[in-house]
Amino acid sequence: MSQPDAELNRRRWDALSDEYQERHREMLGRAEPRWGMWQIPESELLILGDVSGLDVLEYGCGAAQWSILLARQGARPVGMDNSARQLEHARAAGADFPLVHAAAGEAPFPDESFDIVFCDHGAMTFADPEVTVPEVARLLRPEGLLAFSHTTPLSQLCWRDDEEVIDPELHRPYFGLGRVEWEDEPVAFTRTQGEWFKLFRARGLTVERLQEVQPPDGAVSTYRSDQETDWARRWPMEQIWAVRKWT
Amino acid sequence: MDLSDHAARNRAEWNVWAADYVDAGRRNWSADRITWGMTRVPEDDVQVLPVLDGRGVLEAGCGTAYVSAWLARRGARVTGIDVSDEQLATARRFQQEFGLEFPLVHGSAESLPFDDESFDLVVSEYGASIWADPYVWIPEAARVLRPGGHIVLLVNGTLLVLCLPDLDADLPAGTRFLRPYFGMHRFEWTEDDSVDFHLGYGDWVALFRANGFEVEELVELRGDPDAAPSRHNLFTPAWAAQWPAEEIWRARKTA
Repeated sequence: MSQPDAELNRRRWDALSDEYQERHREMLGRAEPRWGMWQIPESELLILGDVSGLDVLEYGCGAAQWSILLARQGARPVGMDNSARQLEHARAAGADFPLVHAAAGEAPFPDESFDIVFCDHGAMTFADPEVTVPEVARLLRPEGLLAFSHTTPLSQLCWRDDEEVIDPELHRPYFGLGRVEWEDEPVAFTRTQGEWFKLFRARGLTVERLQEVQPPDGAVSTYRSDQETDWARRWPMEQIWAVRKWT
Repeated sequence: MDLSDHAARNRAEWNVWAADYVDAGRRNWSADRITWGMTRVPEDDVQVLPVLDGRGVLEAGCGTAYVSAWLARRGARVTGIDVSDEQLATARRFQQEFGLEFPLVHGSAESLPFDDESFDLVVSEYGASIWADPYVWIPEAARVLRPGGHIVLLVNGTLLVLCLPDLDADLPAGTRFLRPYFGMHRFEWTEDDSVDFHLGYGDWVALFRANGFEVEELVELRGDPDAAPSRHNLFTPAWAAQWPAEEIWRARKTA
């Protein structure tokens, strides 16, 4: 990621943070770890598994709702975010573990510091994978786990440009998917499915799981309209990667 | 042969279709260069095949066995298996024509008549990769592979499968999803009695992992927009230049 994008996203997340935390307060303020736009329980998906005693980096933690819960399960979390305002919300929410203000490509930790690096629509979305994948590979211990949710490349194809509506129509090419910028929104990044495999493998990371999220019947979300959720029940809008470092 | 319902139906259809695949088979047997699928992306561009020289290779659903011929010419010890006797008859004719012999076996990939750990590579280009049930034949492929061996599968692109018309079968894929992604597995079409199989990305990963494979690559083939349309007319060259009409999975048996 170019430095300007990291700076742009820092400004945009700082500006967005208060409204974001207010809008999703109820949904994110839950009693157990849950994934993504429809808050599927980790206890159902078992992506991270048992975290007790593990060093865990939440990579783009926002208000660190996840890490606060993982700390209660015995993990030693560190929350990192590019936005200082987001980290203020984390402190206000009671995070009593290290919170680090840094851009995704500048994680101030030694090599092999963590057993798990994860995020739920965090730095793996808002920073360039060319930067984040090598950085995570560096931060993980051997046999460490990278897990993250993001929106699928498939769904990126189906947003209409003129209106903020998703339909079952290919509105843009798949090849060349990369940087996505909507007005006043933080810049987001993705790659095609095949490019993700290639990025992981080039850094000694092996895909163990690709969990496509299908929201349950009647699911509601403060992130998605009912029409969008209905779409997501037929085609994957969100997916979670579990990737292991084997070198 | 003890065949599943879909394997028996596919065998019957392929025995009828075989006559239409003789010319294409001969063109491919005549070609020096390995290319993939209907987009004809050269293997040199994607380099998805593992080392071939001296390795034991099984082509699962070989049809006229041109992929086997390409790999045999590169030093592999190939065996082809197919459920259609008519396709194998064409393959045997080409073996005579081109002076290149290797074992051709009449059978189903869902019940491979080979010992455990007999091969270093299982390859399928629109063979078992789409015509056999992956939940039945991938465990079979894992069984006959030696530890460290690879499986390389070319399948229809996931987006293509979502966009393929059914009732207007002569039309190529458009830009609209015509069926849901969740639940993809077994497909029957109105135009004929065949059955084919397509999985979503996550289901492929889970199936490979469950059978002791490490997933190494997913190569999404990008077609040349100026290419001549393929005779199957599943997609236009312009479509295949924007969205992956074909995908290749490569996985390695770890234990």
